[in-house]
Amino acid sequence: MIEVKSLQKSFGKVTALDGLTFSAPEGQITGLLGPNGAGKTTCLRTIYGLLKADTGEALIDGIDASKSPLEARRKIGIFPDKFGLYERLTAREQIAYFATLHGMAGDSGAAAVEEVIQRLDMSAIADRRATGFSQGQRMKVALAQAIVHRPKHLILDEPSRGLDVMSTRILRDLLRELKAQGTSILFSSHVMQEVAALCDQVVVVAAGKVAAQGTPDELCAQTGETALEEAFVKIIGTDEGIAA
Amino acid sequence: MTSPISIVLRKELKDALRDKRSVMAAMSYAFFGPLLMAVAFYVLISQLTDTSDVKIEIQGAEHAPAFVAHLERQGVVQRDEPWPEGQQPIVLEIAEGWDENIASAQPARVTLTADFSSQKQRTDIRRVEQAVEGYTAQLTYIRLQMRGIDPLITQGVNLVKHDTATKGSKAAILMGSVLIFILLSVFFSGMNVAIDISAGERERNSLELLLSQPLTTDQLVWGKGLAASAFAMFGGILSAILIPIIFKFLPLHEIGMSVSLAWPLILLIIVLLVPLALFATALQLFVSFRAKSFKEAQTYISLLLMAPMLVVFGVEFARVKNQILYYLPLTGQHQALLDIIKGEQLNWAGMGISAAATVVVSVLLFKLISRMLSSEKVVFGL
Repeated sequence: MIEVKSLQKSFGKVTALDGLTFSAPEGQITGLLGPNGAGKTTCLRTIYGLLKADTGEALIDGIDASKSPLEARRKIGIFPDKFGLYERLTAREQIAYFATLHGMAGDSGAAAVEEVIQRLDMSAIADRRATGFSQGQRMKVALAQAIVHRPKHLILDEPSRGLDVMSTRILRDLLRELKAQGTSILFSSHVMQEVAALCDQVVVVAAGKVAAQGTPDELCAQTGETALEEAFVKIIGTDEGIAA
Repeated sequence: MTSPISIVLRKELKDALRDKRSVMAAMSYAFFGPLLMAVAFYVLISQLTDTSDVKIEIQGAEHAPAFVAHLERQGVVQRDEPWPEGQQPIVLEIAEGWDENIASAQPARVTLTADFSSQKQRTDIRRVEQAVEGYTAQLTYIRLQMRGIDPLITQGVNLVKHDTATKGSKAAILMGSVLIFILLSVFFSGMNVAIDISAGERERNSLELLLSQPLTTDQLVWGKGLAASAFAMFGGILSAILIPIIFKFLPLHEIGMSVSLAWPLILLIIVLLVPLALFATALQLFVSFRAKSFKEAQTYISLLLMAPMLVVFGVEFARVKNQILYYLPLTGQHQALLDIIKGEQLNWAGMGISAAATVVVSVLLFKLISRMLSSEKVVFGL
């Protein structure tokens, strides 16, 4: 369970988060939907403790990452805003690096790495160095890094950005599978179709505040629209920064 | 569970060893620096120990055959071939009436014409002068003896030169400049790795994810710092071992020098370099973690490298002598290395204190970097 309670954060005069409150329960996919600059990335970075909120708190299973970051981070897998790979390491070595950082060493660690490689169908590239990987292959490595330690919480920042259809499918299948296993998944997006297809719950963020919350159907019902996109535009009052 | 420090360390070492540029950088400085010095010294020595005849133009040789014979014995001979391009001729002109002057005990006139400001011909001119002075002294002796006067009367003061310079201490002057290479190799060798694991991490967008892992920034910084230090140390060890070997092949004995470093002393030098490697890495990481790209970090670090160079060269050439130098980071190691090479009494307290000071400063720098990485301002460049 990820709980965000009245987060407030400003950078200088810019208010990025303005009393944001929502929660992402276990066994559900929660989508953080909002236009560019709505504060999605800031919110996620605050949850895993890279940014410190001015007021409010973000809890992962009741643990505040700003107070005990290591404990909180052990419970989460992160697919960050920008994921760079170490070009001179093989895919397997990169995944193993993050597995060991999560305390999975030795045979059990190697087994976990192998398992995730099989699951993401990346045996062919597992022992190749990352130089020359396609965007889809890079995404798989980043995804593998995020889930190799079997976290109970998964946080993804715009995961489908720049992916082709096949990679997007792999991503969606994986998220559904993890959800079925009881993982609480929180991901940000500004892509409507993705949110509509995947999410159990949508949190619409605009200007650092929750503009609306509910299942895609509920949101449509609230606004009296049939398509989520129309509902969304109605909620935030503009169609700026939204991709269909 | 393995410590996160060693996880990061091992990963960074593996990564860096696969980077040919980093490995080459670490090797080349340690390798080519001493080699360059060796070549320079080789040329210098062969110039200094040149014992071939000085060939000059002697005019009027027919007036003073005995004098010319004396010059020949001293290695100053008549030149047959033309002067090389750009060199002023050295001409020794024996005036007419040599015989009369000798016979009447008057000074016989000999004119030396040359470019006295020429660096290249300085030793040649000096040898001609010495040869002439030698002949003059002989003449004076004979003239005084013929008049029944003890020739010693001309010597007011008998200056006895007593050279206390050992072969080792002469070599120290030479080795002083070589030392700088050993010290600086520690700063140069780890540089590439230090940039790659800090600014490089930011440039390839992997810093954010790494900082979101369950390890403290302290552990991260130490893992990375030790990896870069290992490279710095690799360069240091290489040059500390190579320099004495290279100097074995130089004919230093011909100019009355001897450089012999026993293996225990080389080992001591290597031990002294360890804290310095840590210090160099800490400085470089401190600077390049603030840079946003590899290029930017390179610019900062090349400026930063001026600092140790200025310190070491400054102390070396300004001949600064102060006890405090023994106890400070960098200068402490420099002084200790100088003493080792001169074969002087070693200042163990100085070595220990400077090593400890270096480690303390490095640890503080690492703390500072770790604080920096916990700050969202630095991490996200806000």
